[in-house]
Amino acid sequence: MKQIAKAVAILAIAALCASAAWAAEGGNPKKGKYLYKKTCKSCHVEGAEGGNLTPMTKTMSQWDRFFEKAQHPKAEAWKDLKEQDIKDINQFLYDHALDSSQPETCG
Amino acid sequence: MRRLFALLLAALLAVPAVALAAPTVEEMQKKIDELNEELAELSDRVDKTERHTATDRISWYGDLRVKADTLHYKDVTASQGVYFDFADFGQRAMAGEFSVPAATDPGDGSTTPLSKFMAAFPEQAAAFMAGALPPQGYFVVAPAEKSTINNDVLYTTRLRLGMKAKVSDNVNFSGRLSMYKNWGDSTGVKVFDSWNSFTMDGTNGGNTSGDWLRVERAYFDWKDIGGSDFYLSIGRRPSTYGPPSQYRENELRGGTPSGHLVHFNFDGITVGYHLSKLTGIEGQTVRFCYGQGFESEWGNGELFNEINTEDVHLGGFNIDALNDGTNFLQFTLFRAENVTDGFKGLIAFPSQFAQQMAPTMWNDLQNFPNFNFVTRVQPSTNIGDIMLGGIGFTREEMNGVNWFTSLAWTQTDPNGKAGLFGGLLSDPTYRAALVDDPSNPGEQMIVPAFTTTPSSDKKRDGYSVYAGIQIPAPLGKLGLEYNYGSKYWIPFTQAQDDLIGSKLATRGHVGEAYYIFDVNPNMFIKLGGIYYDYEYTGSGSPVGAPVKIADVQDGKASSMLPAVDTAWDGYASLTVKF
Repeated sequence: MKQIAKAVAILAIAALCASAAWAAEGGNPKKGKYLYKKTCKSCHVEGAEGGNLTPMTKTMSQWDRFFEKAQHPKAEAWKDLKEQDIKDINQFLYDHALDSSQPETCG
Repeated sequence: MRRLFALLLAALLAVPAVALAAPTVEEMQKKIDELNEELAELSDRVDKTERHTATDRISWYGDLRVKADTLHYKDVTASQGVYFDFADFGQRAMAGEFSVPAATDPGDGSTTPLSKFMAAFPEQAAAFMAGALPPQGYFVVAPAEKSTINNDVLYTTRLRLGMKAKVSDNVNFSGRLSMYKNWGDSTGVKVFDSWNSFTMDGTNGGNTSGDWLRVERAYFDWKDIGGSDFYLSIGRRPSTYGPPSQYRENELRGGTPSGHLVHFNFDGITVGYHLSKLTGIEGQTVRFCYGQGFESEWGNGELFNEINTEDVHLGGFNIDALNDGTNFLQFTLFRAENVTDGFKGLIAFPSQFAQQMAPTMWNDLQNFPNFNFVTRVQPSTNIGDIMLGGIGFTREEMNGVNWFTSLAWTQTDPNGKAGLFGGLLSDPTYRAALVDDPSNPGEQMIVPAFTTTPSSDKKRDGYSVYAGIQIPAPLGKLGLEYNYGSKYWIPFTQAQDDLIGSKLATRGHVGEAYYIFDVNPNMFIKLGGIYYDYEYTGSGSPVGAPVKIADVQDGKASSMLPAVDTAWDGYASLTVKF
């Protein structure tokens, strides 16, 4: 029992000490999904100006690189978005990127 | 990359020479040569990456979990006995079948099988004479014995290697190899004391079996067949860790069917149709699944078809009515036909059973109390059909709270047959039989003899509820879960890797609380505990009659395997995904 208590304590300390330096943190992916549908999907569908785009179009680090610039190639595209909104969209796209974890189902 | 450099070059050349502090033509040429050289090098590097990507046909990913559990079982009761036909015994006793004295009888009838039987079981005989015993019921041979079992620490390692490959634009391959072991054991087989100890096809991914990788999943998905919304998937199915059980695993949906009803490795076929394009409801998919749980002839001990069993087939529907990333609503309806009285698998035979079931071996086994012979088991009898149905709803709120509720039902429809371990949710009935008494040559004795008549052939309905919530908490999340299973609850969740046993198969109450520390997106620590309060015996087993734990403790019923009253499992685990 003592051994377990010790192991638990070590694990808890390890968790507390873990650094939070990770890409795409602090965004709310749920809000991001809503904003992505509302803001991005108008241009980014098959046949539209921006061409079809889904979270799976890029890898996690590619999405982060894109958002690091904090600038959309089409200048006015993000004009109605606040900084946190962009973070939320980034989080959603990162979480569902090509190399992210995917549901393990058939079909 | 080439385009970028071409643009850069064009821009460079277009800039008026004066703006560049008037470089000479030689300097310009030198710069272009340098750029060309770099471009050639880059192109070479990209070629290598392209070649590697093209030849690396499988992309691998996986996770490793190390876990320490502390397991505590309270009031584990042993109560040996059989379900006995007292009415038949009474009739035959009245007819004098058991009252024939041996030639050596001193004249007082003490050598008759009946008098010896009554002398061996005076309490049961008195109850029988007083008419206190039912026509058929449990004949408990010895008083129940209770014990407490503590395993202070049990370490396990689980490694899962996922594979994905693209076969063509609309065909994908997926697979998962998995190893699950307890530390210091790679025998691949455990002494049979519960369903968990059975090394078998459907559950070996969820039970510790040793240091080898097993193919937990391997299937292909052929999507958009002929431009339609149909898909076909065949192979070893993704039928474990289904919703809503993914929350406690801290992962995304881990399987297709409801995890409340099915957590079992199946080989089978799924034909699915993505309804969402027709209805506009996100993620709506209808699937028909078919599988085989038992092959009755190939590889079995039926050299001349002596063991007459049918294959076990399963089929049913699995419908994601809504799956929009926030709400998830699933309907499940399955049927298993010709269920057998067990599965093909490996066990180490418990020496304790030898006295009753293998008396010849018992003598030799006394010399080797720590030896168990390993044996391949196969079912002997088809015992009936099982229906399973369920409705599950999960919701992931905007604020990070996830909650779920699931209601499930099972129905067993026995065919009136029983194997050695019983029929569908029934025990085999034993009748009195006369055999030669090995201790007293020339005399006979009464023993209970196995018959293929089950203790019951009634249809039985079982139900279960499962609910849980996961809320954001400092450095991670906190989860609370509860489930209850009724007396006749019999889902296919035996491959859940809970060490005490699949918590969702429990006939009784189960509560779980856990805290997940998300160290980083690919690493987490989980601390928690599961408390089991069993109400009936045989959780997770379709074979054998469930009886009240309290009745086993009071000596009113017997249980072949140890009957656990309550148990708790405290655990700490560290999982890394890669």
